[in-house]
Amino acid sequence: MPRTLSHWLPLVLLTLAAFWWRSRDLASRPMHADEANQAVKAGELLESGRYAYDPHDHHGPVLYYAAVPIAWIRGQRTLAGLDEVTVRLVPALAGAASVFLLGLLAAPLGRWPSLAAAAFLAASPPAVYYSRYFVQETLLATFTLAAFVCARQWWSSGRARWAAAAGACAGLMQAAKESAPLFALAGIAALLAIRGRSDGPAPRRPVRDALIAAGAALAVAALFYSSLGAHPSGLRDALGAYGPLAARLGAGDTGHEKPWWYFLRLFAWQRNGGVVFEQAAFSALALAGVATALATRAPLLRWAAAYSLLVLLALSSIAYKTPWHAIHLVPGFSILAAGAIAAMSRGAASRIAAAALTIGVLGLLVFQADRVTRVYGSDARNPYAYVHSSPDVLKFRGLADAALSRSPGGLVRVISEEYWPLPWYLRGMDNVGYWTRPPADCDAALVIASAGLADEVHSRLHGTYDRSYLGLRPGFVCIVFTPRR
Amino acid sequence: MLRILAILLTLGSLGAAQAEDLVPLKLELPKPLFVGTPRPIKVSNLEPETAASAGPLMVPAGTTLLSLNKSVTSSDTSPVIGELTCVTDGDKSGDEGSYVELGPGVQWVQIDLGGPARIAAIAVWHFHAQARVYHAVVVQASNDPQFKTGVTTLFNNDDTNADGLGKGADYAYVETYKGRVIDAKGVTARYVRLYSDGNTSDELNHYTEVEVYGKPVN
Repeated sequence: MPRTLSHWLPLVLLTLAAFWWRSRDLASRPMHADEANQAVKAGELLESGRYAYDPHDHHGPVLYYAAVPIAWIRGQRTLAGLDEVTVRLVPALAGAASVFLLGLLAAPLGRWPSLAAAAFLAASPPAVYYSRYFVQETLLATFTLAAFVCARQWWSSGRARWAAAAGACAGLMQAAKESAPLFALAGIAALLAIRGRSDGPAPRRPVRDALIAAGAALAVAALFYSSLGAHPSGLRDALGAYGPLAARLGAGDTGHEKPWWYFLRLFAWQRNGGVVFEQAAFSALALAGVATALATRAPLLRWAAAYSLLVLLALSSIAYKTPWHAIHLVPGFSILAAGAIAAMSRGAASRIAAAALTIGVLGLLVFQADRVTRVYGSDARNPYAYVHSSPDVLKFRGLADAALSRSPGGLVRVISEEYWPLPWYLRGMDNVGYWTRPPADCDAALVIASAGLADEVHSRLHGTYDRSYLGLRPGFVCIVFTPRR
Repeated sequence: MLRILAILLTLGSLGAAQAEDLVPLKLELPKPLFVGTPRPIKVSNLEPETAASAGPLMVPAGTTLLSLNKSVTSSDTSPVIGELTCVTDGDKSGDEGSYVELGPGVQWVQIDLGGPARIAAIAVWHFHAQARVYHAVVVQASNDPQFKTGVTTLFNNDDTNADGLGKGADYAYVETYKGRVIDAKGVTARYVRLYSDGNTSDELNHYTEVEVYGKPVN
């Protein structure tokens, strides 16, 4: 076998396996409210070609633009034609790419340890879960890895084109989510923290290259935030997004405030409602990697330890926490765990032990990842299924279709303080209205009301209605009023 | 002559049943369990007040709890969470370990009372750590363990016939620590079977406790 093929084949096969796992049965889990919200925006972009960055309730534009070519390839041209598989293929592709990129980033560890690092990421429960989840986080994590890989290539080769590529990836990071600077700064700070212990940079003109990188980053970010030039004020909105965001987080009343140890617990062990979710063995191996980093002069391990610590400190110090932020810790932890494996594999016997340990830890990760993605995909006990929609949301469309076939030209009223992901499931229906307060006239072919508003809605119904009950998410019940025939 | 005698005996036994003293059924209720931040849900509007607050069910004097620690079988023979014994172990706390979780879709549990009994009431607690409504709840009683003959349906809120047992007109309800008390109207049966088809939070089926009240038939 040619050397190039034998070198790359395992990583390519691992990437393909990661993509298979991330893309299989993508429509099985109900859409989370955030996914639905963004899928509708992607559908509107697909249908009308229009997009305008909204700095208040949405993140960067690249997620929506990334869905469009996939929709075209799958023959979808409208919001009504768009489906879950199309939009979730975006993070699935990005998640698979991140596995390949981590294999490249971890290359200094050696052939098999770098492959082990990529495998840990491929099997990581949060990484797998959020690679099947139409939000920005996996894109951000992947572009971050791409930026690091390109930056290191520039560092070792001194070629300006790698600086431009790193800058472009940084621009994509920013176009994915506003929190991008946190990870870019953590990467640079970690590099500064280990300076003197790594080889000096090869670039002869670092200032010029830095300017090239900055220019590429600005150009790419501006391209997306301005809606490819069609909405220039998106640039102003992008710059102004940080003030309100800081105020909102500072107020501490978002409902997503959690204790400082939240992410540590995600990577340790927890038992929710009788079901255990854990990554303890993987985390222990990563801790062993930190010890290895301290004991050796391996720059990559030291950088991964410093980067992971900085990101962990930053994420833990902010009261606002959601579980998808955890995926930013996985690449660093994976490099550290692989570093520990590499340190173990000094003799023939210890290589066997290291291989057995790697397989054992991977087995546990695979078991847990399958548990969180397939078995408990939308279960409230799953720490990654955060405020997730109930499987009941899949039933609303059938009820609406049946109601309108009984009453052609009728109206479907959704009257609820919260109603996502229903607009996704009722997409393509013209005669659906959404109210957060009951209107004066509530009569319709189908009325979907939250339990909190059901009394008021019922008092404004003039006909005789049957009622049934469907869940929007755990603890949030909707009452469905259907005119009695 | 024999036919007249039989009619007189039947009327006599009916009169004796009607003359039996009725007393309020007393349930031992678990303490309210509120887990996490309260969710935006109002319980009282899910069914008419008249049905929800009709007062205690009146049952014949001498009615006792028949189901405690009786054997339980299920359509899900290997529950992942909890044991089938949770259904009749007397623990209604709703805490982890007090309930059994059956798989997704239509599932049932069946209680064997050990012998025929005149059943006055059945109380069921599915899961009350969170406000949720169980779909397609059907409660039946029979002397046939296969529930093929002599089946009496005591409660049915399956408005879409998801269970395949026919549509029912009873109200759906939100789970609370009070459970749900079903009037069994003195049906004589050895087995009680309860169906459900997931709930408004997930597709799974849970039983914290089922209590069957009545009098053994000698």
